[in-house]
Parts: sequence; structure tokens; C-alpha cells
Amino acid sequence: MSVCRPARCLFSKATATSLPRPPPQRSFHASASRPARKRRPHYPSIKAEDLKLLNQASEAEYPKFDTSETTLLEKKYTRAQIAAIKAAESTIDARDVLTQGQRRTDPWRLNYEDDLAEVDPVTDRPEKLTGDDIKGSKNFRLANDVQRDENIARITSENLAKMYPEGVPEGALDNQEAGRLKSSTEAAFSQAVLDPRVSYTSNNPAALESLGDERHSIVAPDLPRVENRMARQTRRLSTEEEEDPRQKRLLQYLGWEKQKLRSIRVKTLVVHGVTNQTRMGKIRSLYYLTIAGNQDGLLGVGEGKSVEPEEGRKQSVMSAIRNMRPVPRYENRTTFGDLEQKVGATKVQLFSRPPGFGLRVQHLIFELARAAGLQDLSAKTPRSRNKMNVIKATWEALTSQKLPDEIARARGKKLVDVRKVYYGGAIH
Amino acid sequence: MSLVNLAHVCSHMQNASKARLGLTSIPVSKMHVNIALGLQREGFLSSVTLGGPTPPRPFLLQAQQDPERLDKMAEKLAAEPWLAYPTEETDDQGKKLKSPLGPEQVHEVHVPQNPARRRLWLGLKYWQNEPVLKNMKLVSKPTRRIWLTSEDLGKITRTRESSYVKGLTHPGECMFVTTDRGILEARECVERKLGGMALCRVW
Repeated sequence: MSVCRPARCLFSKATATSLPRPPPQRSFHASASRPARKRRPHYPSIKAEDLKLLNQASEAEYPKFDTSETTLLEKKYTRAQIAAIKAAESTIDARDVLTQGQRRTDPWRLNYEDDLAEVDPVTDRPEKLTGDDIKGSKNFRLANDVQRDENIARITSENLAKMYPEGVPEGALDNQEAGRLKSSTEAAFSQAVLDPRVSYTSNNPAALESLGDERHSIVAPDLPRVENRMARQTRRLSTEEEEDPRQKRLLQYLGWEKQKLRSIRVKTLVVHGVTNQTRMGKIRSLYYLTIAGNQDGLLGVGEGKSVEPEEGRKQSVMSAIRNMRPVPRYENRTTFGDLEQKVGATKVQLFSRPPGFGLRVQHLIFELARAAGLQDLSAKTPRSRNKMNVIKATWEALTSQKLPDEIARARGKKLVDVRKVYYGGAIH
Repeated sequence: MSLVNLAHVCSHMQNASKARLGLTSIPVSKMHVNIALGLQREGFLSSVTLGGPTPPRPFLLQAQQDPERLDKMAEKLAAEPWLAYPTEETDDQGKKLKSPLGPEQVHEVHVPQNPARRRLWLGLKYWQNEPVLKNMKLVSKPTRRIWLTSEDLGKITRTRESSYVKGLTHPGECMFVTTDRGILEARECVERKLGGMALCRVW
């Protein structure tokens, strides 16, 4: 109870209407009490004028369809479907969409911004037509010379019309205009000569048109050429790329294409400095240990050492790729049985695991397993955990697995995979 | 039945295969013989021969059929392959008929009269420069015998641990179990629903 209260009672104006105020609550919190805090609505209150503007905007953005558009809908949808569309539209207030519409944050949202109103040539699947879309007969034959010349003239003028949407300029032209007209005529002509509609003819004009239609082509259209400053500066011609002589030698050794080298996952796992003590003094250099794998059963480990850091790293990468050896995998996911390998004081035990187990192994073995394309594995390193030796031991264990077929051959047994019988051969 | 001797045999087999021996000998006992025969059936051993302190003659030094007779036998077998199987046919007087392929060549091995001087000679196998039998370890120890039921064995052969015995997780691993029907491989025990004392595991 406050001490001020009696005094306030004394000095307060005694009016008939004034009720005794409730005693001020003692606040137990540092923050202001809830009624004292300014309350904000969840949505900003909209003034009447703004509401008018909103209504206008919503009408512009979400117009009421007139009858001509609904008749268009009727061509594509059944009556029941149109009724469903209308019911769905009537349930959602356009104002709600405007005021409450949010960006999607769910995992199923598109990873690019699009209202799906238009077909985008980069992100969307191009529209394709098949032979069934051609009405009438689908026969066509080689055109004779007369038809060919006729077609060339027709398609050239078509192409030219595309280049000059306002019409081909006529009369006396200045030099620049004339040059432009000449070059575009040549382009239109050469395009027309290459067009398949020129060299073939058909009784069915639809079949002939389909020859020049890109939607009928199995060749995907070229990606649009992006023109901006960033694209220009980062664009490289294939001839401009510098040739690393070491890489060239490696490719010759492997007999691979350059493209194939890009699919190799390479990771440097160990870097440390080493010193060579000579009578002149210490020579410091860097040691690198790199692993390489194609994530599909090939795994290599390489070492490199050099005074130059970049040089040593490259050495190790190249030797890792050169040292890649096949890793036998059971069902392309785990090892054949348990493995054990010892290098120096390091012992690595690898255990095969059922599908969906995952790679529950230490980080170095995890990297190796991922590079090799193993998915289910667990491991123990009960003794020394020297990084270099752990990597080497794991690599040796994985690459020197004994296959069941080999074991059966060695013991003179016949081995039959019964899963092939039970699951109709539907296994890896 | 002491397991100490079996432990010695296990170590000896590992050492012999590490040393890439072709033929080695172990002391004779009923259990050793049965285990050796089991190993041979599983394909770990090429031969099991009872002999004396000197090794038996290797196959190539044994008396061979002469090549002409072998050719004749091959022709006969090509025409009538069933002759390869032994027959118990007898004539009217109850006397055994002569084998159609000619008399069988039997190689005599000298076995000492004194059982203490007898040895069991085992032929080891190698495949692609690697021993077929690389590891052989006791499961039951002399101080701690382990008896397994057929359910336990079923789990163990499916690579799961049971009754403090680790599963057969190495590729091609075998375990020998002594049962009241003799020494059997673990998978055979599961098939015949037999339990018994685990002896050793081999891979």
C-alpha cells in the first residue's frame, strides 16, 4: 500500500462523479505494465482514403473477368472445372491477397521468383510438340528447283519482315541505311537457304510449317546470351584458358578428357610445414596430403611437398588423381564386410552398415568415404589417430577389399547371389 | 577336451600361412581331425593326411597312372560318364566285380604304430598370392567355454552379436561348433537347428 494514498484522498477534488481510482499496482517488473505499453495492432490500420486506393489497385491487379474471357476458359476447361475456379476465386478476397499476401518460406517454394504466368526459356521446360499435333497427313518430299526458288523468295521476305517490323525502307537511302539493308538481306537470304521448309514441299501446309517450327525440333534452343558487364568480364573463350603442363601430362597419363577431370572431387586434408636442416640452415617447405575421388568407386590419395605452397598443393592434387584406385562397394553404398588396416601405429577398423545408416565416421574417413561414394559406414581408430596415417590406412583398407567372388574362387566354392532370385534381379 | 591344443593349432595355422608354407602338420586328436576335415570341406585346406613325422609324398611324386591308360579311361568316361561313380555290383558267387575303369590306384601312407608319433598333415591353399586361410582364432577359451543355441548361431551367422560372440562380419568367415552330432560349421548348425560349444572362427 502506497504511503501517498491518504494525502491524495485529502487533496483530491471531491466530485460526485469521480470514483475512487484503483490503487496503483506495485510493479514487480522493470518493463512497463501491459496497459502502459502502447498497443499496436497486428496489421496497420488502413485509412479510408488508402482503402479506396487499395480497392482501385486490386481492381487493376485482379480484374473481374468479362464474358469473352470466360468463354475462352470454356474452351479449355469443363463446366465443373470452371465452377470450381470461380468458387475458389470468390472465396479469396483480392484485398486479403494484397494486404496479407506473403512470400513463401516453405521448402517447396520455387527457388526463383516467378508467378508462372510466362514460359521462361532458361528455367522452364520448353514447349514441345509431337507428330500428333500436326493435322492431316505428315508426308513431305524434296522440292524441285522451281519450288525451291519460290520458297527461298518467300522465306527471305518473311525473315526480312521480321527484321524491319515497320516495313522495309524504300527510295533513296543514305550509306549507313543502305549497308544495313544489304547485310540484313544477306542474313535473311542465308537463313532462308538453310531453312528446311525451302528444300522440302508437302501437300499438307501444316506438315511443311512443322519443319521450321522449333517446338518440333529435338534440339534444345540455344540459351539466351546474357549481356552485361559482369558477363563480359567473366566470359572466357576456350582458347584463352591457360594450359597447365602438369595437368596436360596427367590427362595424357590417364587417357582422359579435360571434362572428365572436372567431375573429380579433390580435397586437401592435411597441410603442415616441414623443415630440412642443412649446413646452410633450415629450409622450410609445406607438405600437402590430398584425396581425390569420383564419388563413384574411385579413390586416390596423393602427397606433395614444396617450398612454394601452391606448387606443393598442385603436386599433391595431381598425384592423388594419378593414384586413384577402384573401391569395391556393396550395393554401391558400403563395404564388403568389416575391414581392418594398420599403418604405423594407426589402426583403422571399418564396418559395413545397413542402408540408411549414413557415414558415422570421423572427419577424415568421412571425406574419404564421400569421395569414394560410400554411403553407409562406421569406423573406429582405436590406436594412434595421426591424420596422415589414418588417411593412408583407410585408403589401403578400402582399395584392398576381398570380394566374395574371389573368396569363393579361392575356396573352390560356388557362390550364388540369392537376392537376384528373390527380388526379381531388381538390385544394384 | 582341452582347448589349449586347439589354440596352438590356430596360431600354428596363422603362422604357417604367413610363412607361405604348402604343407604343415599338427598333433592328432579326434577334434583336430574333425576340424581339419571341416576346414577342408569349407575349402580352406587342400588336403588332410594322417602320417608320421615325415611329410607324405606330394601328389606329383606319387605313383601315377600311365598316360595311355588315362586316355583310355577318359574315352570310356566320355561315353559312359556314370562309370565315375563307385559300384557295389557283385557276381553270382557274391564276389565283387572288377571296376570297369580298371583297378583304382591307392597311395599308401606310412602311419606309425605309436600314436604319439602320428601327425596330421594339412595342405594349405593360396590364391592370387594371398593365403586362403589367413586368420584362425578361438571363440571359447580354455578358461571360458561358450555354448550357443541354434538361435544364437542364427544371429551370429547373420552378422549380429549374440551371447557375447561377435557376428561373422568378415567376408567369408566361418565358425566351427562342436555339437552332439560332431563338429559342424555354424551355418550347418543353423540349418539343422543344433546348438553347441563354439570352437574357433576362421576367415
